This record gives sequence, structure tokens and C-alpha cells, in this order.
Amino acid sequence: MQVSQDMTMARAKASATTVVEARGLDKSFGSVIAVDKADFEIKRGEFISIVGPSGCGKSTLLRMIAGLTPRSGGSLSVNGREVTGPRGDVGVMFQKPTLLEWKTVIENVLLPTALKGRVSEADRSKAQALLNLVGLQDFAHAFPRHLSGGMQQRVALARLLKIGSDILLLDEPFGALDEFTREHLNLELSRIVSDANVTSVFVTHNISEAIFLADKVFVMTPRPGRLAAVVDVPFPRPRELSLLANPDFVDLVARVRDIFSKGETA
Amino acid sequence: MSSSANTNETRSWLWRVNPTHAAGHAGLLVGLLVLWETGSRTGLLDPLILPAPTAILAALWQIAVVDRLLWGHFGITLYEAMAGFVIGSAIGIALAIGAALWEPFRRYSAPYVVGLQVTPRIALAPIVIAWLGFGTTPNVAIAALLCFFPPFLNTMTGLLDVDRDLQEMFRSLRASKRQVFTQLMLPTALPYMMAGLKTAMTMALIGAIVGEFISASEGLGVLMHRFTFQLNMAATFAVLVALTLMGLLLFALMEWVDNRIVFWRHDERMQEISRKRAAREAGRAATETPGTARVAPAGRT
Ligand SMILES: Nc1ncnc2c1ncn2[C@@H]1O[C@H](COP(=O)(O)OP(=O)(O)OP(=O)(O)O)[C@@H](O)[C@H]1O
Ligand SMILES: [Mg+2]
Repeated sequence: MQVSQDMTMARAKASATTVVEARGLDKSFGSVIAVDKADFEIKRGEFISIVGPSGCGKSTLLRMIAGLTPRSGGSLSVNGREVTGPRGDVGVMFQKPTLLEWKTVIENVLLPTALKGRVSEADRSKAQALLNLVGLQDFAHAFPRHLSGGMQQRVALARLLKIGSDILLLDEPFGALDEFTREHLNLELSRIVSDANVTSVFVTHNISEAIFLADKVFVMTPRPGRLAAVVDVPFPRPRELSLLANPDFVDLVARVRDIFSKGETA
Repeated sequence: MSSSANTNETRSWLWRVNPTHAAGHAGLLVGLLVLWETGSRTGLLDPLILPAPTAILAALWQIAVVDRLLWGHFGITLYEAMAGFVIGSAIGIALAIGAALWEPFRRYSAPYVVGLQVTPRIALAPIVIAWLGFGTTPNVAIAALLCFFPPFLNTMTGLLDVDRDLQEMFRSLRASKRQVFTQLMLPTALPYMMAGLKTAMTMALIGAIVGEFISASEGLGVLMHRFTFQLNMAATFAVLVALTLMGLLLFALMEWVDNRIVFWRHDERMQEISRKRAAREAGRAATETPGTARVAPAGRT
């Protein structure tokens, strides 16, 4: 019963529409090739992890999808429209919380709305609901400076969700946090995005974290930044921490690690 | 950001008197005054150089309460300093915004700005008086001229110090240029601006007094001049005490304004705002759903 349900889900995903499509996507900074002719597709509702060592072009790839960095060549479209700049159907979360210290937590969550126009009462309750979702219900009126780093990142997550975009781009969002907090927030994130049924692209340099969260792992190798492989992760989402001890999971981690060592010897 | 926080901290370190040391402070002050008084009474200190504290106090009483001579002059100087402060700061901040937003202006004005900064601007005082004649107007102008620089420099520094990641975040949210200015650059610059304004306030008072020294018919500077001329040193020192009080008043005013405007640099203020907002929210929830309201706040805390 459980298995057949997973299979129907998998089939539904296979037939799902493509939301991000890249062909020969290129980016160079002077003589540095940050992303070298990347081809990939991301389907609606998928969770993609981008993993690779420092400097291999993960952030650059993500920022190109976000429309924050112009590409040097190739084609890139999101929701069927060519990417030319920042857009409303894509939300970005950065490595730092990037909160405004003069605004309270709930005002920070409401920033995307405030920038678009008036903030309604419905927006305020939505923001409060999102704060409940990330476990900050009691801190709506606190200022960011009075929160821990992990709590600040949750505020940023709530703000990302308040944008209401169906594609979430997350660039090492919990990278600066300790391992306990990061693991906890990863679990929450994975629960939240499968509930909201949004498409997510998550950058990390931690292989097991990448696999734990994702449907597909984009493996990138450096110099030049190249999309070396796309690894399918067969376990159903959302996942439990016990998965980390599953032998199949451990095998998969080893396989991805292998791609890097091959890349180095080549 | 950190540099302005530092200026604030240095200031509050100077400013804050630890209550546990209050007795020590009072004791030291009384000790010094008694020493000074004794020195004067035994003839060790020439009253033409340094009059006794009691003599200064008596003179203060005389000019402030008996003759009521002090207040008109006090008001004039206060007016000159405040008007000069407002005009100088407004010009400084306006120029800084122009320079921060418009690169060519910044580039071409920089040499003149440096030139104006290295010139001892107080030396312009006689020229300003030659231009503007007598009365309070030249003194307001001197105060403005003297104090415009710190708000100018600090505002520009603040506006250009916007966090790159925050800029990116605003860009990703497709904020307009105007929104970036009003909601990101300006709030970032405010702590710097306030630090500049505090310095400007002190400088404006110096400007007003110097202007009065050079040529004026009213103001505390004039009064001091007159009393020294009469060799009435006690009254001269009494005016100085009045000036110190004015300085303290203006300083306290700026601290208060700083606390209101740059509240996110003051932990107690932030906590107070947080409390008020939460209480207001709770109150609103109570009027909307009276049944659950009583339970919710208790459950939360
Ligand atoms: N704005 C820029 N100007 C010049 N070079 C850049 C710029 N941004 C990135 N690069 C270069 O592009 C390459 C890829 O950078 P990128 O930030 O995408 O790496 P990354 O995979 O995100 O690394 P990390 O894990 O350290 O964040 C690097 O060699 C970097 O030096
Ligand atoms: Mg990066």
C-alpha cells in the first residue's frame, strides 16, 4: 500500500512540468569559468541539492537562476520565461540572515509584502502563521539583535515563505550554524517545503545533507565549475533522521564522494 | 555599522555614572570645592584669577535671580546655537545625500570638502561678521559653518556603508531605487548621522560663543566679555557655569533624541518597544476573541 502510493507519487513527479530549464548555461568572471556549459531541468515540486567544494560555482548557478547575476552564455528559463533579472516567482535565501535590525521580527517577515504595496490584516495573520510554522510564535515583536543566529535564520525562512513564490533558492542557509541547529532546521525545512509543495534548490557543501534533503543532487566539480553528475535520491520525502543510518543512504553518500575523487584524478 | 556603535559606546561610557560610585563622585566633588574655597579664603588663590566657589555662586544668584540679567542673554545664545545647528546640519545632510547618490558630485566636491575641513573654519568668523553685520544673524551663520561638517561626513559614510548582502536581498525582492534609499540606506545611515549631530551640537555652541566674542550686543559671550572687562571674575565664572549648564542641556536633548530615533542601538529601548507591541497585539486579540484571549497570553509566558 505504502509502496504503491510512493510509486504513484513518483509517476506524478515524472510527468510534472519543468519549471527551470538550462541549456549550455555559462558564466565566466574574466578568465575564471564559474559555470561551464550546464544543462539541467528542474521539475515542479522537486527538491534539488547542489553540492560541491568551495569555489565550484554553486552560488553563481543559484544566483543566475535568481536573476541576480547575468549569464555569459546559453539559455535559462524559469516557468517558461527567459531569466533577465530578479523576478516575483523566485525567492532567495542567503547564507546570512539579512534581517533589518530596525524592524521587529514580524516586520521583517512582512518586508516583501511592504515593498510590493500595502500590508493588509490578512498579510499580518499570514506572517504570524509563518512564524508559528518556524517555531517563533513568541518572538513576533522581538528585534533581530535579541535572537540567536539560528532564530534569525528562521525569520529569514519565514520571510522567504512570505514572498509566496513557488521556487525557493537557498544558498547554504544554515551553513553558519552549529551542527545540532543545522540538522534541526534541515528537518523543518524539508517538512515545510513538502507541505507547501514548492520547488526548492538548496546549495551546500555537505554531501550527506545534500542527499538527505533532495530528490536529486546536482554534483559540481571545480576549475572550471562543471555540473558533473545528477544523482537521483530514491527515498520518499519528507524524511526521518533514521535515514542517515540506512545502508542504501550510506552507499549513495559514498557514490557521490566518488564523483569528486574521480574529478580530481581526471 | 560597528564604528558608529563604537562611538555610541564610548560616549555612554563617559556619560554613565555607575550608581554604586555615586557616593565617591559626590565626595570627590565636595572635597575639591572645599579645597578650592579654603584656597581662596586663605588668600592662596587670587580672586582676580580664580574666585571662590561661594563667590561664583553668589554672582550667579545675583545675575540670574536678583538682576534677572542672565536669561535674555542665555536665550540669545541658545537661539544662535540651535538655529546654527539646524541650518548647518540640514545643509550638511542634504549635501551628503546628494554626494552619496550622485557619484560625479562626490568626486568633484571632494577636494573642496577636504579644503574646508583642513581650514580652521573658526577663522572665517570675522569674515562672516564683515559680510552679515551685527546682531544674531552672523553668529547663527558662524555656528552653522562650524557644525555642518560632522553631519555631512557621517551621513555620507553611513549611506555608503550599506551592507552588500542586504542590498542583494532588496534587489532580489525587486525593490525600487526609492525603496532602497528610504528603507535601507537611510536607516543604515541614521546611527552615523546621530553621532555626527551630537558633535555638531557642541560645535554650534562654540560657534555662537566665538561669534559673540568677536562682535555682538547680546548673548552669554557678550556678557562674559563685559564682566571680564569690569574685572568681575566671579560673574564671569557664573556665566561660564550657565554655559556649562546649557551644554549639558543640549547634550541631554541629543541623547534623548538618539534614544528615540536610533532605538535599535539601545537594548532597553528595543525591549520596551517589543513589550509595547506585544501588549498591543494581545489587547487586539482580546477585543476580537474575548473567549480565548485570557488563556493565550498566560499560556505563552
Ligand atoms: N562577482 C565575482 N567576480 C569575480 N569572480 C567571481 C565572482 N563571483 C564568483 N566568482 C568566482 O567564481 C567561482 C565560483 O564562485 P561561487 O561563489 O559560485 O562558488 P561556490 O561554489 O558558491 O563556493 P562556496 O562554497 O565557497 O560558496 C570562484 O572561483 C569565484 O572566485
Ligand atoms: Mg557560495
